[in-house]
Amino acid sequence: MNRPLKVLIAKAGLDGHERGALVVAMGLRDAGMEVVYTGIRNTPEQIVAAALQEDVDVIGLSSLSGGHMAQFKRVMELLKKEKVSGLLVFAGGIIPDDDVKKLKKLGIKEVFGPGSSIASIAELITKSRR
Amino acid sequence: MKMHGNELTKLVTRLESGEPLPTALYRRTGNARILGITGPPGVGKSSLIDRLIDNLRRQDKTVAVIAIDPTSPTSGGALLGDRLRMQRHSEDEGVYIRSLATRHHHGGVTDSTPQIVHALDAAGFDIVIVETVGTGQDEVEVAEVADTVVVVLMPELGDEIQRAKSGLMEIADVLVINKADLFNARAPATSPRYSALKWERPTIHTSAKSGEGITTLCGAMDIHHAYLVHSGKLAKRRERAARAEVTRLLQSRLTASILRALEEPQAQTILTDVAKRKLDPHDAVEKLTKEILGSHTRSSKHAATSTRRQTTKRRKTRR
Repeated sequence: MNRPLKVLIAKAGLDGHERGALVVAMGLRDAGMEVVYTGIRNTPEQIVAAALQEDVDVIGLSSLSGGHMAQFKRVMELLKKEKVSGLLVFAGGIIPDDDVKKLKKLGIKEVFGPGSSIASIAELITKSRR
Repeated sequence: MKMHGNELTKLVTRLESGEPLPTALYRRTGNARILGITGPPGVGKSSLIDRLIDNLRRQDKTVAVIAIDPTSPTSGGALLGDRLRMQRHSEDEGVYIRSLATRHHHGGVTDSTPQIVHALDAAGFDIVIVETVGTGQDEVEVAEVADTVVVVLMPELGDEIQRAKSGLMEIADVLVINKADLFNARAPATSPRYSALKWERPTIHTSAKSGEGITTLCGAMDIHHAYLVHSGKLAKRRERAARAEVTRLLQSRLTASILRALEEPQAQTILTDVAKRKLDPHDAVEKLTKEILGSHTRSSKHAATSTRRQTTKRRKTRR
């Protein structure tokens, strides 16, 4: 079945800076994907519930406020708890290099910082297509 | 819920891709109330639904929402941005929200909408809400699915002539003027009048922002439902819905066989003759119908006896 890839873009935690997340959402839309954008101030629980109800292939998490370690970790834990497999998770925002390593260990495929191109994000997703 | 969450999610994905609903599930449908929420982009349909969910959950009713946004005609992608207005209900187990892209279907809903509504109905939700894309005047397909259609507008969208036009304004069972907090919009003091024989469409002023008017709107929808039941109109609407759904399925099957038929060499010759002005388009249709189409539609009728056989057949033709 050749359905378009479905992606959830969400901002976790108390962070209202949504310009970047919206740019990514629109970029992936232009790359032919169906993008559910759930906006700012989502809890990890809401993000995982939304991903399950929407049956997405990919989750993109954004954080620019420094809460990424706690928030993203919780998302990964909940996905494990719900026994979700085969789902690609990537992240973006202002995230220090040391944390990038830690996040990748948690199972986050890639972390995109400022200046990343939409094409590189789209490529990561397309390559991982199940 | 009679169906586990994940099972439902996967089923909806399959229906979205055009697979048919299992027969056993269709037999379990017909119990949910189907509400259609439609209106132009940006009038606050999603925010209003967020408030409706609140109200319905307080009455202990379970709610499923399908929220539709348009597919890009150029990229085939979509930005599905309705859910974010209702995201706070995500964790509530009595609520299921699913965003859908139109995938090039016109009419305000998706190809798969009737089947997905059946699935949510069979899953045991009390209320199924269909939120259309932001509509223009002519996208009225939601009326083929919903028991009660709510058309949402906002202040300053037009004068009396706009109200008198056909299409969107005609399908409203309940008319809502949302954002009533703007432009000093005054609510006319009409409450829905209800007799078993005649429904007088109410106009209700709401503000999804403040929550004003939501209880009145819920009341009006309840009264409309009672009217449908007591007047016998509900059964009629469901008949109309069944007819519309079957007609559309039939049309898409016939379209598929027409496209297949046009691939044949004999048909290609006819098309070339039209291009060369040897044959006019109407005569071409006559010829195609007589010589080629007959055999094709007959063969697809036999395939219809088993949907599984039909899918294999479809796959084969694609190769």
